[in-house]
Amino acid sequence: MTKVDLQSFLPLKTQWFHIMLSLAGGEQHGYGIMQDVLERTTGKVHLWPATLYGSIKRLIEADLIGESNDRPAPELDDARRRYYRLTSLGKRVLDAECERLQELVRTIQVKRTMVTE
Amino acid sequence: MTIAGRIYRRLAEAFPHEFRMAYGDQMLEAGEDSMRRLANKHGAAGIVRLIVDIALHLPLEYLSEMRQDMRYAARALAKSPSYALVGILSLALGIGLTTNVYTQAWALLTRTLTGVANPHQLVTAETPASYPYIERYREQKDLLTGVAAVQNSVEFNVALPGQTAKPDRVYGQLVSPDYFSVLGMEPQRGRLLSAELDKTGITPAVVISDRYWRSHFNADPDTIGQSIRLNGQNATIVGVTPTKFDGALTVTPAEIFVPITVPATLAPELGDDVLHNRNLKPFQLLMRLAPGVTVDSAESALDGITRRLDKDDPLAPPQADKAKRLVLMGAATRVQIPRDLRPKLLGFYTFLMTIIIAIACLNLATMALARGIGRRKELAIRLGVGASRFRLIRQMVTEGILLSLLGGAAGFALAWALAAITAHTRLPAGSPLNPDRSVDWQTAIFAFMLAVACGIGFSILPALQATKTDVAPALKQGMALQLSGHKRFGLRNLAMSAQVAGSLLLLLVTGFLVLGILKSNSIQTNFNPKTMAFLFIDPVRDGYSPEKSQAFFDRLPDRLRSSPAITSFALAVQPPFLPGDDGDFHLTVDDPHASSPVQKGVLKQTVGAGFFAVLNEPILAGREFDERDQRLDTTPAQANIGPPLPLVLNQKAARAFFGSVNGIGEHLRGDRRTYEVVGVVPDMKDASGMTQGIAYLPLTRHDFAQPPSGGITIVARGHSAEDALGGVRSVVASMDPNLTLFNVQTLSEYLELIRAAMRSALRTFGGIGLFGLVLSAVGLAGVTGYAVAQRRKEIGIRMALGAHKTQVLGLVLREGATLVAVGTVVGFLGSVALAKAMSAITTEFSDAFSLGVGDPRLLIGAPLLLAGLALLACYIPASRAMAIDPLKALRQE
Repeated sequence: MTKVDLQSFLPLKTQWFHIMLSLAGGEQHGYGIMQDVLERTTGKVHLWPATLYGSIKRLIEADLIGESNDRPAPELDDARRRYYRLTSLGKRVLDAECERLQELVRTIQVKRTMVTE
Repeated sequence: MTIAGRIYRRLAEAFPHEFRMAYGDQMLEAGEDSMRRLANKHGAAGIVRLIVDIALHLPLEYLSEMRQDMRYAARALAKSPSYALVGILSLALGIGLTTNVYTQAWALLTRTLTGVANPHQLVTAETPASYPYIERYREQKDLLTGVAAVQNSVEFNVALPGQTAKPDRVYGQLVSPDYFSVLGMEPQRGRLLSAELDKTGITPAVVISDRYWRSHFNADPDTIGQSIRLNGQNATIVGVTPTKFDGALTVTPAEIFVPITVPATLAPELGDDVLHNRNLKPFQLLMRLAPGVTVDSAESALDGITRRLDKDDPLAPPQADKAKRLVLMGAATRVQIPRDLRPKLLGFYTFLMTIIIAIACLNLATMALARGIGRRKELAIRLGVGASRFRLIRQMVTEGILLSLLGGAAGFALAWALAAITAHTRLPAGSPLNPDRSVDWQTAIFAFMLAVACGIGFSILPALQATKTDVAPALKQGMALQLSGHKRFGLRNLAMSAQVAGSLLLLLVTGFLVLGILKSNSIQTNFNPKTMAFLFIDPVRDGYSPEKSQAFFDRLPDRLRSSPAITSFALAVQPPFLPGDDGDFHLTVDDPHASSPVQKGVLKQTVGAGFFAVLNEPILAGREFDERDQRLDTTPAQANIGPPLPLVLNQKAARAFFGSVNGIGEHLRGDRRTYEVVGVVPDMKDASGMTQGIAYLPLTRHDFAQPPSGGITIVARGHSAEDALGGVRSVVASMDPNLTLFNVQTLSEYLELIRAAMRSALRTFGGIGLFGLVLSAVGLAGVTGYAVAQRRKEIGIRMALGAHKTQVLGLVLREGATLVAVGTVVGFLGSVALAKAMSAITTEFSDAFSLGVGDPRLLIGAPLLLAGLALLACYIPASRAMAIDPLKALRQE
């Protein structure tokens, strides 16, 4: 996969970014992702169910995430749930996006110091 | 469960099948869980937000599936390029021709005038009226909010500012000043005519059309206020009409609008005190119904008023005559059609469009059905892995729509090209301009809708059929699976026969029209047509006074006779061979003994001295007009006094009145005069092939003082047409170099123009017929080809068991032949019935149909041609069946 391909995904849509960020920590099911995002952003970002699953569908189509075959222990599992994980392309796209955001933050900081001086 | 919960569940269940399979349960779970939490935390607002989210995503998911379907369809079509190509071509022809019929006929009949307010309130009368009557109609304020008087196709000699060359001949309308207010029109520039401003006695103000403004003034804003010379008099341009408006009540585009308040010296049409003379009826009515008034109630009220007005008119039909005096029709469209005829005409064109598009769809459907068999395995796999049948049907319909849209785009291009050809076809006589029949956005929408409808139309049945599959056997046997009832009359065979029937019907009906036109398009002349030319002259519109014009025409014959280049000549209102005439003319045999005089309608033509001699036509009885007749005074004031006017009848008219080809010395009454028959001449076919009863009236001093709108025609013959033209030109120039000669044509050119118009009709109808023929052949070849492919194994076994190649050929051909035979019989009977019905309900087509229907060439030839072509189309795949190698065919399974 070339660099150009990664760039074509950037900047990531907010929902996509949050979903992928949740999956960076490991496999997760849809409702879990929703909860995770809510906690992580202290309620600021709410992934509504239809938005969430619509995004998941498109992320799978774009080959950024995939369905995971590993399931938790049977006593913790719910048969209706599907688990998702980042694909290798997904990981690289997420890295590139984080890189891009960090770059942005650095630029902002430089600018801010120039203004305050 | 709460109401919100139920709504959420309903919406979640409405998502596309595939989405629900993958995420439905989870989305429900997540939604119901969050609902509780949201209700606690945010109350109703949170719940609303949740519902809005799912409601917004529902259509998005369907759109995304459609995109996917489209991509898949594009791939599927790319994989079978020959199917795609044939399909696109068929649809392009079908959609293109239908769109062409739509722009050429349908839109002309239905498209409302541009720039007009509430066009459906506008009505006109079928017959023209006199101005005093119009003033009485105008008083009916509770019925009509406005009544304007219009004279159509009035020609003006126009000299623009700074123009040194001879003036141009321009078509226009003479209108009452309230014309534009009745139309409810706003000017594009300047002002329009108005009853307050455009009074008698001031410098005439005229309005020009947008088209004329662009073509002659380069859309210059300073045009307003400019002075032009109109028929030699001064006039001021005060305004420009809105874009694309070129006159109400007229097919011929009008470029200049002149108020009837101008003096008769400017517009000779206004002579004879036409605004006060109730005996002259040159005006068409343009009326606007008051809100809430129906056409029927207005018609009966106006009819009553007309009847009362007629009481004071000794020349009107007797009061006992029950016939309507005034019949209204809609004036919202460019072409006005009597109210009873309108649905019939629209019906014919709807039928024509439907059958063209149905044939294209049937063709595609047969191919899609055949293709469906080849895709059974693929479809079975997709059903097996969980695709819903609905999804597969939608997929196949999407494929159909995609194909149809591609075909539609090509078809639209075809319609555009055909419209461009039509726009460049010159009309045979009269107007130099074609009415606007160009392809516009409405047409584009029409073609697009048509394409979508076609796409759904031809693919839905095959899709239903193809997805009606038992998964297991289809997976096992694939292609070789037999369709139930494949040998009997299945859906596919029915579609195929219907297509053959439809194609034959189309071929025959268009064939009837084509043959009718061809038969009618043969003008016979008793002389070499290359020796004749026509010119038109109009001294009054060149600024002559009526007296000066009369003097000019008194001198003209002698001068023409002395020209060595001219061997013979005559004057007339119209050139010979023109289809149509000056209008219907009703005459009654003037027999005091007859109890109830019979009125008969004939055509009227006004011709001068020696007219038939120039045409080399024999006089069957009596004499033709001579120069004494040309010096008669026939002003309307002279009607009913003085001796009867001479009249010449053609054979057909003479037979109609007197039952024989004579009647010399008999008197006829009509048009407020008495006529005496002085001669009988042979019937001549006009350019549309009709021989009609014609009464020839003499051209007289009145016509010279007040030439009709088209001017006076000089018909001249010499050693060659060019000689004759040169002769007339030099004679007229020697009399007055400032006189304009216009519409100069040789007879050959003139006939060529008429033929060009005919050819355009032939091209359209012939093209439609041919289209049906080609499509049915393509369809048959495709279907037979698939039938052969399906029966490879059977054929292989037969051949292995010793069947001859000819037997195999017969086997395959028999099936095709049955379909063709059934289709041919149905199509033949249908088309004869249709032609009969068409000529019975409308006169528009009866002439062409009556000439074409009886023709054995068509009745026998067309079915043979179609059947032959169809069998040939079957033969090609059948011959391929003969080449099947039994070993290979058997091993394949």
